[in-house]
Amino acid sequence: MRVVVAEDLFLLRDGLTRLLSAHGFQIAASVDTAPGLLQALLDQRPDVAVVDVRMPPGLADDGLQAALTARQQVPGLPVLLLSQYVEQLYARELLADQAGAVGYLLKDRVFNDDQFVDAIRTVAAGGTVMDSEVVSKLLGHRSHDEPMARLSGREREVLALMAEGRSNTAIAQQLFVTEKAVSKHTTSIFTKLGLAASEDDNRRVLAVLAYLNS
Amino acid sequence: MIVLVVWRMLTKLLRRTGRWLLLIPVAVIGTAVFVLNLWTASTVLLALLLAVLLALVLTGRRPANTAGLLPVSMLAAGICGLWTIASLAGKYGQVNVFTNWTAGVQRIAGPGRFTLPTPAGSGAHAFHTAPGGPPAGNFQAVVPRARVPNVVVRGYRVVPGHVLWSGRLLLLGSLLLLAIGLWLAPRAVADLREQYSRVPPRLRRWVREGNWGILLVPVTCFGLTVFGVRPWTIAVIVAAIVISIRWPRLAADLVPLVLVVFAVYGFMLVSRWVPGPRMGGPNLMPVRFGAVDVDSSSSSLLAGIEASMLLAFGAWLFPRTVGAHARRGASGQEAELAGRVQRLTETRDQAADAATAELRRIERDLHDGAQARLVALGMNLRALERMLPGGSPDAQALVAEARETSLRALNDLRHLIRGICPPVLADRGLAHAVQALALDTPLPVDVDVDLPGRLTAPVESACYFAIAEVLANAVKHAGARRVHIRIQHAARVLRIEVTDDGAGGANPAAGTGLRGVEQRLGTFDGIVAVSSPPGGPTIVAMEVPCALSSPKTCSC
Repeated sequence: MRVVVAEDLFLLRDGLTRLLSAHGFQIAASVDTAPGLLQALLDQRPDVAVVDVRMPPGLADDGLQAALTARQQVPGLPVLLLSQYVEQLYARELLADQAGAVGYLLKDRVFNDDQFVDAIRTVAAGGTVMDSEVVSKLLGHRSHDEPMARLSGREREVLALMAEGRSNTAIAQQLFVTEKAVSKHTTSIFTKLGLAASEDDNRRVLAVLAYLNS
Repeated sequence: MIVLVVWRMLTKLLRRTGRWLLLIPVAVIGTAVFVLNLWTASTVLLALLLAVLLALVLTGRRPANTAGLLPVSMLAAGICGLWTIASLAGKYGQVNVFTNWTAGVQRIAGPGRFTLPTPAGSGAHAFHTAPGGPPAGNFQAVVPRARVPNVVVRGYRVVPGHVLWSGRLLLLGSLLLLAIGLWLAPRAVADLREQYSRVPPRLRRWVREGNWGILLVPVTCFGLTVFGVRPWTIAVIVAAIVISIRWPRLAADLVPLVLVVFAVYGFMLVSRWVPGPRMGGPNLMPVRFGAVDVDSSSSSLLAGIEASMLLAFGAWLFPRTVGAHARRGASGQEAELAGRVQRLTETRDQAADAATAELRRIERDLHDGAQARLVALGMNLRALERMLPGGSPDAQALVAEARETSLRALNDLRHLIRGICPPVLADRGLAHAVQALALDTPLPVDVDVDLPGRLTAPVESACYFAIAEVLANAVKHAGARRVHIRIQHAARVLRIEVTDDGAGGANPAAGTGLRGVEQRLGTFDGIVAVSSPPGGPTIVAMEVPCALSSPKTCSC
């Protein structure tokens, strides 16, 4: 799988490329500026890009802007954004096109390399991965809503994991329950929130996030 | 095709240099207007010099910002053009002729009453050189001055034929300039105000102290129309420039006096045309006064109106210049105090700027230094964990713990940075930061922002934390269910209104939160007003006087 890595700090760029190579990814390009990233994304058309939000020349949200621009030109180009902080505002902008194949994680998440690599693969496959911090804030924002109040504690946990982009199998593992139980919970959640149920994982995540973001 | 290419080149050039470049064509048009008005080259030079001086003062030597001057010069050029046309109007095809072939200067024709038969200049020449009486018939006023040696013709009355059509062009151009100038004016006023805050303090003090003194030079230039360009009039204008630069206050005091002198002179001119025993008789020479040639009773009426306007303006200025200075002079302390307040305001702004810049630098250093290193450390610890042989659970546990610790350290740093310089605020400014804040609040928050540019970093930061504090209060204490935040910038004041539908009854004196907000905004002369009747709604209104910078020039 071909990856473009965009990170302006050498220490982290080096660490990321080593980690990704160790997990069998092929580094198509590693860049350190936003214009360089845009160029690499459009030229290389990688299977997935791992992008730092803050990059030169502006040292603001240039990485995010470059990724959004690239996705405008190549809809659905898989991009996983990494940042020292996660902002719902940025998550919302990433999700706005409803095309999927996006991820937004704290840089800390690379500590758990298995989960991190899973996240990259999910994004590359067109899935959506959101940091648990984004999801918990989203849930907090909607916690006063009437339909949300009707969810049970366990259903909320399942909803949070779904919104992070986990599959039924992963949710079952995390919560130590059977997959069947998870799918029962998901059906119940979708009914209570008035969403159209879908067997497709990607569409399910997008529906949940769209609901939480509305 | 060629037009397109030229247009593209022009827009590219304009983008690079700013609208400043447009000043050049405007200056050219202005020069043309002045030349048409038969002002001499020295006057034009003087006008250009003044324009450059004004540009330097207003922009703090930044040519790209001179764009704000554009509509001012357009309006000025347009008005000058109309003035020129007004002074030409009705002069075509007729001429005031004064002959000296009998005893002294004798008036033989008034405007509009007398016409001569010849279609072109040569005929006129034949007539004027022959002594005798005026013949009857029609006269076309295409009279080259060189061909009528015996006739005293007031120069600017005889309009050469080619000016006829260029006059119409001038009318069109002037109206166009006026229209564009008026259209650009509101933006330019905002621009100029904003640029004024960027003018170096020394120049700003000069403008403030001089105040109306800036008018001395243009007002003195009015004398050129009355007395003509002579060595002494030029000397007076140079003196006016020197005075307005060196002694701005004296210049301000002189402006109403000069206006009154001109007005009195104007009334004297007019009085000669008043019918009665003192009527001047046939040997009255026409004299120019401002835009009017005083050569008949009707034109003297116009000159009278002009003089009255000058007098009125002078009288209006008097209490604002001489009066104000006399009052202030009586208490010399006041001026000193004003200077001190000014100095304190400037140093306070600088201190706030420095503090914010320092915080943003710390944030950047932490991001590129400690935070990055902690992430790299975590990655390495994870790699180490994998390398350790499976049989040493203690070592594995220790490494895992170290990894946890670095995670916590990262978390701590993240909270610290959010407290001193929220990333979205630094990245995108107040509007987006407040939207992000609203999204992070566990309540529906409507955000309604009207901010065309960015605020200065210290004000931005103070306003952000003030809103965050008020929002937190609404969530924590008021039990609100919905919050509305409105932010708008108008007339150099930023207005923020946070309304919640909570229980109300908030007492600004009781809690430390609102007092903290007051202190935060107080640094920038901001104020906070709270309306919170029991039962709600609570409205917290904040106002901070501040300028907006355009999004591109922002420093962060």
